[in-house]
Amino acid sequence: MSWREFFLSAVFVALAVAAFAYADGYQIYILALVGLTTIVGVGLNILLGMSGQISLGHVGFYAIGAYAVAILTVNHGWNFWPALAVAVIATGIAGGALALPALRVRGPYLAMVTIAFGFVIEQVAAEWKEVTGGWNGLLNIPQPSILGYEFSERATAFLVLFLAIASLGFFAWLSRNAWGQAMRAIRDSEVAGQSIGLNPVLVRVAAFVLSAMMAGLAGGVFASITGFISPESFPFFQSIMFLLVVMIGGADRTLGPLLGAIVVVLLPEVLSFLAEYRLLFVGVLLLLVLRLAPGGIVGLAERLFKKHSDGPSPRPAESIPALLSRPAAEKLTVRDLSIAFGGIRAVTGLNFEALAGKITSVIGPNGAGKTTALNLVCGFYKPSTGSILIGSQEVAGMPSHAVAQAGIARTYQTTQLFGQMSVIDNVMIAFRKGRLGRRGASQTANGDERRLAESLLSFVGYTGPIDRRASALPHVDKRLVEIARALATRPSVLLLDEPAAGLSATDTKALGVLMRQIAALNIAVILVEHDMDLVMGISDRIVVLDAGSKIADGGPDTVRNDAQVLKAYLGEGTVHDRSRAKPLAAQENVVAVKDLAASYGAVAALHGVDLTVNEGELVCVLGANGAGKSTLMRALSGLHRPVRGEVQLNGNRIESLVAHSVAKHGLVLVPEGRQVFPELSVVDNIRLGGFSRPAAELEADVERMLTRFPRLRERANQRAGLLSGGEQQMLAIARGLVAKPKVLMLDEPSLGLAPALIENLYSILAELRDQGITILLVDQMAGLALSVADRAYILQSGAVVQSGPARDFSEDTALQKAYLGEASHA
Amino acid sequence: MNFFRHRNFARWLRWSAVAAGLLFASASFAADPIKIGQVAALSGPSAQSGEAMTRGLKLAIDEINAKGGLLGGRKLELIQRDDESNPPKGLIAARELIFKEKVAAFFGGLDTPVSLAIVPVANKEKVPFIGIWAAGTAITRNGANPNYVFRVSAVDALVDVRLLKHAEKLGAKKAGLILINNPWGESNEKGLKAAAENNKGITIVGVEKFENNDVDLVPQLTRLKQAGADVLILVGNAAPGAQVMKSRERMGWKVPVVSHWGISGGRFPELAGPTAGDAQFVQTYSFFGEQSPTGKKVIAELSKKYPEIKGPADIFSPVGTANAYDAMHLLAAAIEKAGSTDGDKIRQALESLGSYDGLIKSYKQPFTADNHDALGPDDYVMVHYQGNDIHPVK
Amino acid sequence: MLFLVPALITGLGLGSMYGLLALGFHVTYAVSNTVNFAQGSTMMLGAVLTFTFGFTLGLPMWLAIVLALLACAAWGVFVERIAVRPFVARGSDSWLMATVALGIILDNVVLFTFGKDPRGMPPSVLTSDAISIAGVRIQFLQILIPVVGLSIAAALHFVSTRTKYGKALLAVVQNAEAARLMGINVNIAIMAAFAVSGLFAGVAGILIAPLFTISSSMGTLFGIKAFAVAILGGISSAWGVVIAGLIYGVAEALVTATIGSTYTQIVTFSLVIVILALRPNGLFGRAATKKV
Repeated sequence: MSWREFFLSAVFVALAVAAFAYADGYQIYILALVGLTTIVGVGLNILLGMSGQISLGHVGFYAIGAYAVAILTVNHGWNFWPALAVAVIATGIAGGALALPALRVRGPYLAMVTIAFGFVIEQVAAEWKEVTGGWNGLLNIPQPSILGYEFSERATAFLVLFLAIASLGFFAWLSRNAWGQAMRAIRDSEVAGQSIGLNPVLVRVAAFVLSAMMAGLAGGVFASITGFISPESFPFFQSIMFLLVVMIGGADRTLGPLLGAIVVVLLPEVLSFLAEYRLLFVGVLLLLVLRLAPGGIVGLAERLFKKHSDGPSPRPAESIPALLSRPAAEKLTVRDLSIAFGGIRAVTGLNFEALAGKITSVIGPNGAGKTTALNLVCGFYKPSTGSILIGSQEVAGMPSHAVAQAGIARTYQTTQLFGQMSVIDNVMIAFRKGRLGRRGASQTANGDERRLAESLLSFVGYTGPIDRRASALPHVDKRLVEIARALATRPSVLLLDEPAAGLSATDTKALGVLMRQIAALNIAVILVEHDMDLVMGISDRIVVLDAGSKIADGGPDTVRNDAQVLKAYLGEGTVHDRSRAKPLAAQENVVAVKDLAASYGAVAALHGVDLTVNEGELVCVLGANGAGKSTLMRALSGLHRPVRGEVQLNGNRIESLVAHSVAKHGLVLVPEGRQVFPELSVVDNIRLGGFSRPAAELEADVERMLTRFPRLRERANQRAGLLSGGEQQMLAIARGLVAKPKVLMLDEPSLGLAPALIENLYSILAELRDQGITILLVDQMAGLALSVADRAYILQSGAVVQSGPARDFSEDTALQKAYLGEASHA
Repeated sequence: MNFFRHRNFARWLRWSAVAAGLLFASASFAADPIKIGQVAALSGPSAQSGEAMTRGLKLAIDEINAKGGLLGGRKLELIQRDDESNPPKGLIAARELIFKEKVAAFFGGLDTPVSLAIVPVANKEKVPFIGIWAAGTAITRNGANPNYVFRVSAVDALVDVRLLKHAEKLGAKKAGLILINNPWGESNEKGLKAAAENNKGITIVGVEKFENNDVDLVPQLTRLKQAGADVLILVGNAAPGAQVMKSRERMGWKVPVVSHWGISGGRFPELAGPTAGDAQFVQTYSFFGEQSPTGKKVIAELSKKYPEIKGPADIFSPVGTANAYDAMHLLAAAIEKAGSTDGDKIRQALESLGSYDGLIKSYKQPFTADNHDALGPDDYVMVHYQGNDIHPVK
Repeated sequence: MLFLVPALITGLGLGSMYGLLALGFHVTYAVSNTVNFAQGSTMMLGAVLTFTFGFTLGLPMWLAIVLALLACAAWGVFVERIAVRPFVARGSDSWLMATVALGIILDNVVLFTFGKDPRGMPPSVLTSDAISIAGVRIQFLQILIPVVGLSIAAALHFVSTRTKYGKALLAVVQNAEAARLMGINVNIAIMAAFAVSGLFAGVAGILIAPLFTISSSMGTLFGIKAFAVAILGGISSAWGVVIAGLIYGVAEALVTATIGSTYTQIVTFSLVIVILALRPNGLFGRAATKKV
């Protein structure tokens, strides 16, 4: 706390004390209510703001606290203080008990559980007459007393003031404490929280218990200060008011509940001339705050007045090897690992080793099971068979936070930072490896986590400000911070899931250097990556997967020349010649793409692509995974709004249209992964393809499709979800064709199909081409795609690197390079 | 990271200081008019009862002010606060009336628990609190001495005796209680059980509860029927009471119904449908039938003030209006007699008032030091609906 | 056990109303993963408007019903535009509280316009006539309510499986992105779902009006129970919520008729907690697959 903060807090406290000292009997009561509401609000802020869980039944905890004090003092003659202690403990237990069902549900389900809880408490209070006094409640609840001196109303109000200030202080403390940070971490990303060793169950239950205890504390004092409670003191509506306190003040802001309580309790009093319109006013206020000031009053003030400082760049101080290097080299051994989803085997009998100090890459075409394998290793999926050893410790089947604690750290394909937390906090919480108490702090090398975190950030090459909110970082920095966070757990094994995706060539190169440095710390680095230049350049060993099984394992040169690997990536080559019988005459272009650029957030995916498709042509776009092929398709079809450039369809600009309008204009996409409507019948799927067409014409065309694809006719009335992959692809194509498209676009139609089915599919594509349908095709199976295409484009890192007639590509080494990368240059 | 949050503290501090200043400055000083408070449900499901009482109070206040006010020309001013039927809200409102508005005395509303929550503060601050609806026995019999709580309304304990007697008169031996699930219902459950102990002719065979918003009470009535009830004792307001009658009709159960006065307001005949007349209920006052001169005057004034009132049938929740009207006049007489707005003097004046010719009856010393209830069992009449009119039961 | 038959009929009647309201939750949840939490207020709107048009303004009953239903559908669309869409666009969960806020506003606006005084439908053939089966009296309305409730569920099933627009709605439910590619305007589909949801609530309000008293607060508790039903049924399953509605209604009536009304709410709401603790996706819901 700076002197300035201290001074301001002192002034505030002095003002509050003055107000409490000079208020009259009505005002003191109102001020006490503001204080009590603040305490409940702080508790709810821990639950809602910090840990991201909603409760529409918090009045239940407030009631338990109030009844505990009232019952013990009135019925059993206890002194106030022990009664209050019991009240707080009892609500803590109730909070823990409610947390258990609440943990298993989210969103509206959680809302319902908490609502039900509030109702049950209210009804029990009403019906348990002997104890609670039933509907008529309990009267003459004594004020607190110390050594026979009974508190006046004002003295009790001062007690409330003290507790309210203490609760605000507690929140500020928790905010900086590992527990508070862990709650925020789990709120922002549960999976990432687990992968730094946080147990989400423990953290969530802790939030519930703390939150309940604070409500119970406030309830206990409330009982004493009103002197009378009944079930009607705790209506359902009060829970909504408590939420309103947090939302109006500003969720996860220290002072939010105080300001919220001032508004929610004082405003109606100031506006008491509005008496009967009070509820209407509450409704309007709630809606306005939610719409206009999602950060509440504090958030609004921050926006208006904040001179935000993102803090300095990290300073390197610690020797990273001293912090991270592992005395005993531990390797990761995966043996006979398998998992099946719904009968489909995603990974089968996988064996590999990742040695400490080495970089082991896992590659394979789309759908090969790489990410599944990664998820198995770090415990997100439970393998059906097999073992995973770190050194000699078995981790297969352990929950992911335990796997993380055992020494496996990871990063994610789409970065999973704790978005609302600062960069430095993202790293600092990971030091704890899930140990959140004092003991956890002492386990860091010398306790000074902040300095260590700065060192780590500096080590990974992060040079931005350390206090910036993680969600506001540019993409490359997100990657680096995520790696720093993973390293902060001091892992034996580091899994990197496509760390280079979306990075520029320079950044990728720097990343490669960083990975070598990490490996040099005697850590086993496992890399899943599509950027083949990077993989080939830095890997000591490469494991190649296809269809869930390992097909090759060895050094970069071995793998690059492995026939099976080439086949997996490029397809079988031109087994059948499907070129046109007679060449296509020159035609008008239907689609013209100029300088198209697209990005995901800060990540550029396409940089100025030019492309044309002529009437009747079949054009294919080739390129490795992550080259931007699918983004191109999504941008053309209106699913993803491009940031620059234009798309013309028959001369009309369509780049700013939304997807359903693009489809109506006749540019129809058969999406990657088929995406049939699984619960609808086959014939209904086809009909939906012609959604925009008049019903009268449609039926005839649906009939034509069933004739063209006899397999579909056999299954016309089955649910599409029951079809095999090949049949689903037929269905997706039929669904696209029935729209009578000007251009049919196909995104990865061969993905995940057996070879025979792929052959069949391409024969159909050739037929369609010969019938004069204009087609834009994206497929990883370059050989196959070229066998039917008239012209081809090669995309690499979001830009067209080569284009021309398809036959010119067949033996082209540029193609192989685009898929499998250049020789090493790390 | 919380640095800026604390820094904004400064601004918020200034703002809240200003806001607090405004709040305190608004505490007014008792000026010329005599302030009379009212704490009642002005919003929510019981809002209508609040409105009925307000009408009675305003009518009486207008009459008093038209005659030049009290204590040598000081006009009466009614200050209303909403309790939303919620005891803590009622307590806040009462404190506001006492401390901020500095009322001379104040009136309570429909809900027994709200009144119970207010009783301690009224006694502590020595401000007369007059109940004009809530019938909970403990409100006036609260053990305080001196006691600042008075009532011009029915008392559950006495009403319950009367209800069972009436049931017996109808030839019933086994009473099934069907009670609203709130403090009022509970107060009567207690009262009825006590009354049954002192009444050899009738036993209680079942107690069932219903909620304000219950749609269908066939399950509850089924239980009572199964228990052999030959009369239903109903406690509940008009809307839920009507649900009891409709469910009874649906079952085709022709059992007699004896009811507390809750069903007297809120268009009970419209809500309950054809069997509305089957329920015989207790009243402190009925605007139907032959009216005293005061009664005629009140009806005339009401229809002048509230044009939608064309006749007795349009006066909803009539007991609220009637009780409020008499209570306000009794309070005015006490203030005049006390010659002051001092709470203790008003209390003493109320306890020693002489006779007053009111709407409900002619009061002869309405309150004493021991009895703070102006109305007793003899002031209750049993009535039932005939169409929209309320007629005494023969 | 014959004495339980009237309670059972009551339970089925109320249960089908819960189911109907819950179906409204289901329709919007399936299409957009959001609900109008204040569905009970929409139900109230249906009843209040039918009464106002039909009796206060004296319009023919069929016209009053049609106008009321249109208004409920329009209200549903309004809720989606004002309290749901802006929050979904922002990626915020606050639509839940925003719909609660709109419900509070609607309740209070009705309180001040319709009046604080509860009103009742005049008796009609539906409530005054009854048939008697084996000594158990059943009013026409008691037959009508489950019949209409289940017919609407069946109609929803028919429309969504047999008509073009219904199938489009199902397509949006199953794969919104693919639906866009078919030329289906997903925003309109979501609005339509909220309109249908409002419509169902309106029908429930109109059906229940003759049994009930009409006031601004009539929908609150009913709406919460219906939400419990929707959650219990597994909000993603249409038949699930209807069946859960019937189960809830019957359970409520039987608990009241056997153990006594004192315990009805405690038992039913505790059951809600227990069932959700054991089956987090409801009785008939399907678990969403976890993706990393």
